[in-house]
Amino acid sequence: MPEIILEHVTKKFDKFVAVDDLNMVIEDRGFVTLLGPSGCGKTTTLRMIAGLETPTSGRILIDGKPVFDSQKGINLPPNKRDIGFLFQNYALWPHMTVYENIAFGLEMLKWDKAAIRKRVDELLALLKIEPFEKRYPAELSGGQQQRVAIARTLAPSPKVLFMDEPLSNLDAKLRQEMRAELKRLHSDTNSTFVYVTHDQLEAMTLSTQVCLMNEGLLQQYAPPLTTYNAPANLFVAEFVGNPTMNFIPAKVETIAGCQVTLSLLGKKAVFTAKEAVEGLGEEAVVGVRPEFLPICEDGPIEGTTYSTLPAGMETTVKVSCGDTMLTSVVFGSVDYAIDTPVKLSVTGEGIALFDKQSRMSVGSGRLEVL
Amino acid sequence: MKQTHADDLRREPLIYKLRAFITKPANLLLVFFLTVLVLLSLLPLVTMLSNMFTIHLGTEKKLTRLPTGTWTLIHFSNLFKGDDWSRVNFWDPLWNSFIVAFGSGILGIAIGGTVAWFITRSDLKCKKFISSVFVFPYMMPSWTLALFWTNMFQNSQVGGGNVGMIEAIFGICMPEWFVFGLFPIIVVTGLHYSPFAYLLIGGILKNMDATLEESATILKASRFTIIRRITIPIVMPAILSTFLLIFSSGFSSYTVPVFLGSAVKCYTLSTKMRALIQAGYQGQGYIIAFISIILGCVILGINQWFTGKRKSFTTVTGKSGQVSLVKLRKANWPISIVMIVLVTFFAIVPLISFALESIIRQPGNYRLSNMTLQFWVGTEASAYETGMISGILLNLTMWKALGRQVALALVVAMVVGTSGMLIGYACVRRRGSRLSRFVESLAFFPYLMPSMAFGTIYLAMATSDSFKWLYGSFALLVLVSAIKFLPFASRSGVNSMLQIAPEIEEAAIIFGVPWRKRMTRILFPIQKSSILSGYLLPVISVMREVAMYTLLVSHARYLLTTMLFSFNQTGYAQYGSAVTLLIIVIIMLINAITNKLTGASFDKGIGG
Repeated sequence: MPEIILEHVTKKFDKFVAVDDLNMVIEDRGFVTLLGPSGCGKTTTLRMIAGLETPTSGRILIDGKPVFDSQKGINLPPNKRDIGFLFQNYALWPHMTVYENIAFGLEMLKWDKAAIRKRVDELLALLKIEPFEKRYPAELSGGQQQRVAIARTLAPSPKVLFMDEPLSNLDAKLRQEMRAELKRLHSDTNSTFVYVTHDQLEAMTLSTQVCLMNEGLLQQYAPPLTTYNAPANLFVAEFVGNPTMNFIPAKVETIAGCQVTLSLLGKKAVFTAKEAVEGLGEEAVVGVRPEFLPICEDGPIEGTTYSTLPAGMETTVKVSCGDTMLTSVVFGSVDYAIDTPVKLSVTGEGIALFDKQSRMSVGSGRLEVL
Repeated sequence: MKQTHADDLRREPLIYKLRAFITKPANLLLVFFLTVLVLLSLLPLVTMLSNMFTIHLGTEKKLTRLPTGTWTLIHFSNLFKGDDWSRVNFWDPLWNSFIVAFGSGILGIAIGGTVAWFITRSDLKCKKFISSVFVFPYMMPSWTLALFWTNMFQNSQVGGGNVGMIEAIFGICMPEWFVFGLFPIIVVTGLHYSPFAYLLIGGILKNMDATLEESATILKASRFTIIRRITIPIVMPAILSTFLLIFSSGFSSYTVPVFLGSAVKCYTLSTKMRALIQAGYQGQGYIIAFISIILGCVILGINQWFTGKRKSFTTVTGKSGQVSLVKLRKANWPISIVMIVLVTFFAIVPLISFALESIIRQPGNYRLSNMTLQFWVGTEASAYETGMISGILLNLTMWKALGRQVALALVVAMVVGTSGMLIGYACVRRRGSRLSRFVESLAFFPYLMPSMAFGTIYLAMATSDSFKWLYGSFALLVLVSAIKFLPFASRSGVNSMLQIAPEIEEAAIIFGVPWRKRMTRILFPIQKSSILSGYLLPVISVMREVAMYTLLVSHARYLLTTMLFSFNQTGYAQYGSAVTLLIIVIIMLINAITNKLTGASFDKGIGG
């Protein structure tokens, strides 16, 4: 059961705190993504679990065994942690052929030649790179190099596989293909994947759990759809989802259990949460996903179109309502002329309410604009 | 009717083509440099070739009883025949040259590579000190280490019988093989080039993607296995090409074998070449020079073939900047101390030793009563005890020689720096054209020729009838130095121009800015620091060149370095040490000024 547990893990570079008091449990056979903007500490976290970086303090357990414990002075080197690591730039050894690259880890485990041959053949087939066996990395395309790197990492069948933005060097189309393959690989190999990315779409589509980080602090650790539908705070709400969620500033008038009356965009509105609302101050921010803000004839919110971006399957319409710019996504392709007056309505159960002061979510539910 | 008009437009009369060609300044520059370089580097080569096949006045004429200028193959047969004469004058020196080149290549790589690994990959103490002092010997002229070696180890049992520091202080007499001959030549040459190996290998280790090693760690490879299977193979191309460069420099070096070999009649090919020409065997001397050039070409060819192969790779810097440094634990202090002592001994002690040697009256006696400043500031009145001339700081001949050397350095720098920049500009603008490729390689050609062979060629030319007026003149020195030091200047010119996008110049062309203004107002300011270092590097090269100048000057006291050479040949060791110290100080000053002004530095930049 290779479960990974991080307890109060902190990493400082001189005075700069890269990771601050991180607590996390990565379940067996999970596919966990560490997501966040660049410099948020996600790569550092990954490298600490792998043993390439030494935490300043805290405790890390892999499979119930402490691999790092600042109090007991335990710090296992990476080669004793039974892990695989896929680097962003693949780190293929330029002086070895594809075969030699993949076989290296098995040689280190002192496998005999025949067994190595068999295992490498298996991997070459699994990743569809048989024809390149004798080539050097420099003679392969980016996508092929990437597959070789995966094969090399998988060869010793590690229980846990760490990946540091493995797709960021590929072009958009190849990236999409590799995403599908990685998901497939995850279920085929039966191992735990820990994956670093700054691409929220990648995190959404691949993982079973998303760990969102910002400036070294854990923001939310939840299944991807939860981060989408019930973001824990404004940072998560803004980071996850494309086009970005609409944030409408609102004044709180009354709070009564699940019901909150607000004034926003010069109108009155009633927010009905699923549970009693707590921790809300005088000012709030209402978060509405663009798909919950359709353009319709009899909508209560009036505005004029600012620009229209039809993409075929759906159309993104920017609407300006007084000082606020709202984004609406309409299914199908519709083209509005610039500055057309339109009306918007708010639908669905997934409207989020945040306290402006603390930036934390205080509930989600329905919003009725009067 | 319409058809003919189109035909007219399609036709390209030669005159228009020519006009289009010459309106581009880059083309004119290329044609100019092509002409000059062909004249200055190919013509001498032809002169030398013809000298290999003709009888010269003097010894050759006397021995062969053939008239001067007769075409003959006798020089070849005499040199290669295999009898005692040819063994002593060709085969043994050839063998010695190979041993020296090979030995110093291995030694240089071993020392430089080891230091590079410790500095970049371990938690060694005092890294800053070691790495900055370690490059010292490379900045100093190579013969300084050779002089230091003799100062240190010579003793009453060997060579001229002068007492060196080790004997004077500890009373130990080093055996002859340790003081003179192949062993010290290899050690000194190897030490001189080890900083070069350190800079190249260290640079690659530093830029090498750390994840390459990290991924091996994760696959359970041990530290040692990683070095053996990953690190060394990846830096191998660099190691080999460094080895080849040291090999060719060691093969053709002249001053070190002269200082450390002549006393025991240990010759290498380049010292033998000089000796043969001096003894009147010009034909054979030129054959040896030619062989050195061929060898230089072969080595460069091997190097290019090697670095062009598919197994050579550029290693990109990855994400993780910090490699986990190897902990040396208990061995840390011992290794650090050994390194500190070593670099101090070869980088700082020489300076002290030169200072000391230049103030003692009787060599080998380091008592205070034996010390004097006569060699520095003695007047002619007290000259009897210092050997004919006054102390170097009060000596007009010395100041004149220094003045000439500095003037030479400045003139050469102007010529070489400007040519290098213009060649860089022209070659980059017309990159891909045959003309540009040809000029670029012609400008690099002199690099293949050992200084000694190069000087020899020009000597051959200057002694021929049509160029007699050149012989022994300042102009000849300028000409030869300019050609000899052009390769690096043109390399750096090409590199700095490559970094400027053509659009930057094109934007100015659209505004109608004339070419001269584009150069002085746009291109030059952008690459100021690298162009300035292209001007300053030849200064240092001129200041420390000995081999080539000893051949070309009319009398030994013409330049400071040739003066130094003659001091050492004639036994005025104190003057020699004083002048050496002076030269080192000047070079370091120039390097420091260059560094301050441009950020470029000899130890960081191009060398060879």
